[in-house]
Parts: sequence; C-alpha cells; structure tokens
Amino acid sequence: MHGYGIAQHLKLVSNDVLQVGESSLYPALQRLLLNGWVKAEWGISENNRRARYYTLTNAGRKQLDAERQEFDRMIIAIQKVLET
Amino acid sequence: MKLIRRLDYWLNRRRYEAELAEELEFHRSQSGAPDFGNATLAREDARAVWIWPWLESVFQDLRYALRNLRKQPGFALLAILSLGVAIGLNTSFYAVVDAAALRLWTVQDPARVMKVFTRSRNGNSGFSIAEYRYFKDHAKSFSGVVGMERAFVRLGFEGFRKSSHVVFVSGDYFQVLGVPLQLGRGFLPSEDALDEPQNVAVLSYATWRDHYGSDREILGKRIYFDDKPFIVVGVAAEEFLGTTGDREDAWAPLPSMQLMMPNDADTRAFLRSPQSCCSSVAGRLAPGVTESVAQAELAVLGQQFHQEFKLPEERILLARGTFLGGTPKASKFLGAFAFLFVAIMGVLLLACANIGNLLLARAVARRQEIEIRRSLGADRARIVRQLLTEGMVLALAAAAIGVAVAWKLPGVIFALAEDVPPFPVTLDSSVVIYAIAMAAFACLAFALAPALHGTRPYGAPSRLPLRNILLAAQVAMSVVLLVVAGLMIASVEHARNLDPGYRVADTTVISFDVPASSYDDKRSTRFSNQLVKDIASVRGIPFAIADREPLPHSHWYGRFRLPGETEAQAHSIEMHEIGGGYFDLLGLPIVQGRDLQPGDIARHAIVVNEAMARRYFENQNPLGKAIIIGKQSWEIAGVARDAYLTYLDSIAPQVFQPFSGDVIPTLLVRSGAPGVIDLATGIAKQIDDKVLVQSTPLSRNLDLMLAGSSTMAGLAGVLGAFALLLAVIGMSGVFAYVVKQRTREIGIRMALGAEPRQVIRLVLSGATRAALIGLGVGYLASMGAAKLLDEYLYGVSPYDPRAYAAVAIVLSISGTAAAYFPARRATRIDPLNALRVE
Repeated sequence: MHGYGIAQHLKLVSNDVLQVGESSLYPALQRLLLNGWVKAEWGISENNRRARYYTLTNAGRKQLDAERQEFDRMIIAIQKVLET
Repeated sequence: MKLIRRLDYWLNRRRYEAELAEELEFHRSQSGAPDFGNATLAREDARAVWIWPWLESVFQDLRYALRNLRKQPGFALLAILSLGVAIGLNTSFYAVVDAAALRLWTVQDPARVMKVFTRSRNGNSGFSIAEYRYFKDHAKSFSGVVGMERAFVRLGFEGFRKSSHVVFVSGDYFQVLGVPLQLGRGFLPSEDALDEPQNVAVLSYATWRDHYGSDREILGKRIYFDDKPFIVVGVAAEEFLGTTGDREDAWAPLPSMQLMMPNDADTRAFLRSPQSCCSSVAGRLAPGVTESVAQAELAVLGQQFHQEFKLPEERILLARGTFLGGTPKASKFLGAFAFLFVAIMGVLLLACANIGNLLLARAVARRQEIEIRRSLGADRARIVRQLLTEGMVLALAAAAIGVAVAWKLPGVIFALAEDVPPFPVTLDSSVVIYAIAMAAFACLAFALAPALHGTRPYGAPSRLPLRNILLAAQVAMSVVLLVVAGLMIASVEHARNLDPGYRVADTTVISFDVPASSYDDKRSTRFSNQLVKDIASVRGIPFAIADREPLPHSHWYGRFRLPGETEAQAHSIEMHEIGGGYFDLLGLPIVQGRDLQPGDIARHAIVVNEAMARRYFENQNPLGKAIIIGKQSWEIAGVARDAYLTYLDSIAPQVFQPFSGDVIPTLLVRSGAPGVIDLATGIAKQIDDKVLVQSTPLSRNLDLMLAGSSTMAGLAGVLGAFALLLAVIGMSGVFAYVVKQRTREIGIRMALGAEPRQVIRLVLSGATRAALIGLGVGYLASMGAAKLLDEYLYGVSPYDPRAYAAVAIVLSISGTAAAYFPARRATRIDPLNALRVE
C-alpha cells in the first residue's frame, strides 16, 4: 500500500475518526523504514502514476504482534478501571 | 543495523530526499487538497528522522564556538597556548615512557615474549647461565628460552676499534625471538656448544651502517672483538634495537666469551657455575600457555635448582618485553617517572584551573546571552553542551600544539642533559591518542564546572565561590612546584659548591685500558708494577696511584674484624688501594700519625679515615691498633681527614692500603702540568703499545655524579617557572574580573566618599584570602612532596625554610603585580559612568 492509500484506508476503516495528515504519516513511515519494520518499493498506482508501496517485513510483523499484545493489555486494564 | 541504515541514508541522501519529495507530491495530487499545509515543513519533519539531528547540532555548536573564540582572540590564544604547552609537556613525558616502558621489542609476535627476572631487596636482577640452561631444558610452558649477557668490547676492523656494547646470547636467540634480519643469518645450535666456541657475530643495523658503510658484502668478513677475530654472519634489521634495555652494537654466541678471554678461569666458571650472576633471560610462551602458568612453572624450576645447589631463595617474575621491563634500571627510572608524572600532571591541572577561571568569568559575563537562549526554549543541558563544545575546541587546538611540542621536546631535553637514550623517542598513534585523551580530560576539568555554574537559573544561590576555590587550587599547585624546584636547585648548587674535602678542580685522571683478552692476572700485575716504577722514576712530577679514581661509578667493599672477633662478626668497610703521593696530590691532610711510605706493604701498615677511627676506636688512640682483613693483620699508621671520595652525601669508614699491583691502576696528576699526559701515555705505550690511555678532569666525575639531579632540577625549574607564569595569568584574570563585576558597587561607594584604599581592600580581599589559603595548602602539600624527594636532595632538608620563604616572596610579588592593573582600574572608576552601567 502506498502512503496515500494508507491514509485513506485508516480514514475509511475508522469511519473518519482517524484522519492522518502527511506531516505525521511520512515521519512515521520514515521511522518504520529506519527501524527496518517495513520495506518500500516503487510501483505504479491505480491511476498509472509512480508511487511508493510499503510492505511489512518479518521484523515488522513481530514488532506489530508485540505492540498489539501490549495495546490489548492496556485496553483491558483501562476498561477494568472504567467499569469499577 | 540502524546505524548502517542511517549511514546508507547519509551517503545517498540526495536520492532519498528526491524520493520523499516525489512521494509527498503524489500524496498531494491524490488528495487534491491545495491547502494541505507547509510542504517543506512536512518534508523536513520526515527527513529529520534520518539525519542525525544530534550530528547536525554538533556542527552547529562547533561553528558557534569558533565564531565565539574568534571574537576574543586574546583569550583564545592565551588559553590555547598555555594549555598547549601543558599538554605538550605531558605528551612528551608519555612519549618517553611509551618508548622506554610500553613499546614492545621489535621481534616476531612480541606479545608472547616475556622477560624473566628475579626481584630482591636490591632491585631487579637476572640468572646464572647454568640456571638459564636449566630453565631452557626443563620449562614446558615456553616454546623457547634465551639468555643474554652484556659486555664492553672494542669492536672493529684491524687498526680501527671502537668501544662497543656486545651482547653474548644463547644460540637460539634469533630463532626463538624471531629477530628480523637485514642480511645473513642468526646463530646455529652448533654455535651454542660450550666446549666448542665459534667466533661468529651479528652486527646491529646502526653499527653496520655507521662503521661498515652499509657494506652488502660484509657477510663472511673478519672483524675484531678486542684482538680476537670474529666472522660476520648476519646484520639485524634496522628496527631491531635489542632486548637488554641498553644500546646493543653486535651479538655473539655465549660460548664465544671463552675465545675473548682464553686465559681467564672466571669466564669458564661464569658460563658453567650455578653461583655466577646475573644474565638476562627471556622466553617465548608456548601456544595456549598463560603468563601465570609460565611463572608458576619457573618458580618451581627455580626452587629445584636453588635447592640442588644450596643457593638462597629467589622470587621469579615475568614482564612484557619492553626496554625497561625487568631490568635493574626499572625501579630507579620508575621513581623519577612517578615524580615527573605528578609534577607534569600538576602543571596540566594548573593550566586547566586557569582556563576554567577565565571561562567562568566569561560564562558569568554571558549570562544575558544564555538567558535569552533559555527563554527561546533551549534547555540547560543543551546550553551546557554548547559551552563544553567551546571548551573542546580550545582543548583540541591545544592538543595539536601538544603533539608538536612532544615531537621536538624530548630530543632537546636529552641533548641538554647530554644523555642519549638507547631507545628512539618517536611519535606514534598512541602518543597522538594520548594527547587527545589529555585534551578531553582537560576540557572536562576546565569547562564543565564553569558551564554548570554559568547556566544556573536566575535566583539560585550564587554564593559558591567557585572562582576562589579555583584560584586557591592554582596557587597551591604552583607553590608545590616552586618549592620542589627551589629545593632541587638549592640541592644542586649545594653539591656543586660542596667542598668534597680534596682538590677536585685541578686534578686530572689518567686511566689505562688494556686489551682484556690477552691479559691474565700475572700480566696485569707485571704491567701495573712496571708502570708505577717507570712513572715514579720521572723526577719532579707530582702524581698519585690509586686502584680507582675518586667519585667513581663503582665502589669496592671488603670486610675486616678486630682482634678477638670471629669471622661472623666482621664489619663491612670501603677499601682503597693507593700509592705515590695520594694524600698530598688530593690535598687531604693526615690528621694523626703518618702517610703511607714505600715498604708499608711489607710492614702491613695502613691509613684509615676519621669515620673509621670514630666508629671502631672511640675514645682510643687508633694509631698502632690492628685490624684483620682476610687472614692478614694490618696496623694503623695514620688517620686521614674525612672526604667525600665515593659518594657526595655520606662518608663510609674507609681503609687505605698500599697499592698491591693486582689491578691496572689509575693515575692522578695535577691539571695543566706541562707534558704530563704525553709522558704517561709514552710510558704506558712503551710497556705495551696496545694500551689505550685516556685522561679526564676529575671535575667531570663530579658533574656526572650530579647529572641526574641537575637534569631533574632543570626540569623542576622549567615546570616551576611555567607554573608561576600560569598562576600570575590566573590571578590577574580573577582580579580583573572581580573589578569588572563590581564596577557599579564601586561607583556607588566612591560617590559616597570611599577612599581608593578602602575600595581596593573591598574588591580584592576575597581573592587575596583565597590566594593565602592556597599558599597554606600548597606549603603542606610541598612538605609531603619534598619528603618523597629526599633521596634526590644533597645536603638540603626537605623542610629548608629558605625555599619556602623564597616562594612566599616570589608569589606575593607576582600577586601584587597581577593585582596592580585591576586595582588601578578600580580606583579610577568614575562614579557617574559606573552608575550608568547596565
């Protein structure tokens, strides 16, 4: 998925709640590249323009799992606090 | 991994940046929103992830620091020069220590080669050749063990001979150590057989180059060791300088020592007897064996050997193969090194304190600038980093000067001290690294405290008199260096003016050097007796005969006992053999009894000195008393006045026996007596034309004896002078700063009618008090330092009040001078202008 696609995807699946601007999207993508969690390749977009496509690397997938577990743990904890 | 990706980005940053720009452009065109925000900012944000923002800010700091220093060239120059000289002294010192004690022998895989030595109360020493061979045959933790024995030999072609240092080495020396060779070969196992000595030699590169014109055809040629022919089989490579801690001009196999002195039973015994002493030993560790395992094995072997031959126990140690490692000189040098290291470190700290003080003054003056930067959002750590960067720029510039100083200074000092070290003092990367490390250390020492101090938030208590603490430390350190320098110089002066008790200035020593290889005991005695007789037969020449000259490089102790005492009760005594008019020529009066006379050798009459008479015949008349030396009883015929014949700081009990002719004598004559040297040369050559005759003024011996102390005193003097200069700069900086800081207050006081005197007292009292505290602390530290140096001080107490008083006077004069201009400026402050300041 290319950068613009990622932003659109986030917007779509979150029902317009998460709107990511380029000023936070691209530094974040660069940080992912720096850590080796994604790799980037140039390809042709749907409307025939050159675009950079990002895919998760193995290291990135591992990192995602770890982050997700941590996130779930956090959400459960917050819910518990709110329910009592 | 991250670092590699960063580096990759840095190297291909143009491509990466272009890609990012294109990507953002694509994003924009897709979203179709024209007012999407600042495109450049978005790109910068994304880019900042990659480029070390830190690295960029370092460059920024550097630029800022350089700009700042350029604005104050006086301060920058002063700081860089003073620190540069201090680092230069420090680095020079390191370069010498590196060459002498850290750099490994230039052999193959030098880290695996160990010097083996023993240590006793008398210092480091070596082994008998027999014990070395025992090690070599039994030690399993070494893949090879080599032995070395130094000797003085006259080396050269027929007709040309030069006094040289030859080292006799075991036959496997070149193979075991892996000595690099320029030409030819090392020695063969067959040349190491004790009973079949071979006359082969390897020359050092320097000898080959300087005395044989780098002759490539030298292999197989014949050269002479004294007057014995040796065949050159090899030349060592230029970088190989030997393994015994002194100059080495040539090598020959150990057994060939017997060729040198065929008539000498001692040489045969030296190579075989377990009692003989003391050759150097080194070994190459076997693969996988550690130093401690090897040492443990040698300790066991040494114990076995010593038990078998009933020798006293010894302690065996290993050291890395460096010039000084494990040599007898090592401990002596280490003492001097330690003293110099402390002094030189003191100077460096002094320079640091100095710059710290100047920086502190600037940091306080820069409060306004710093406050502005803080209110613009810089945090304190960032500003401290900026100030430290300024310090680092100064320190690195100083390090460059330091390396330049270290490049030239050791050579100059060795030239002044007339003492060429047997190792080359060259700059290598470790010296440069040392200089940079010193600079980093100095930077932290002088820049950190002022940076922290100057960036304190407003309102925080500022009563900490850091400035005064630095000033006191500076004064204290220069006091120590000056007191020590003063004591050393006083000591050398004292020794120079010391009346040794006899005529040094107008006495000349004539010595005779016979070719040892053709002289056995009988021939020596014949030569000596003939020489003494022939010289005595020339009328009108005052001369004296002695077994050795006064203030020699060696001394000779014997043992005697009083009648009724057993051999076990014998006393140690300094022995002299004299003839001719020894006491007359040296101007040494006989205070009791008579001088020695011809025929006393048969009468067994001797003269003793006063120290001897006092010690053993207190309250008795020593004349006519007997003492027993060996088995022979000798009668005391006279008592000579005490004189510093051997050492300059003490006079041992001495016995003067009539000259026996057992050794080649030394001749003492009056300096400037016409023709006397030619005459002595002629007489000696007539007996044997191979004799070398040499004459030196006796005062030269005195100089040589004082040389070490003179050099130390000179160095201490230079360090002390530099310390004083730094202290004056530091004091005047502090005084000037105080006046500047309190300009407004002074103005008000003057407007209210304060006298100039009161103003000066007000302004300078804090700093003066700090300087006085520094003086006191410095005195206490000096006493400690001087006590440690006691052994270098001749006839001067480490607490000599003159040195301490002189330092106080010098410092108060310099302090007054340092305070004069700032004080004058304070009294000339115009109250109206002062109130307008700020």
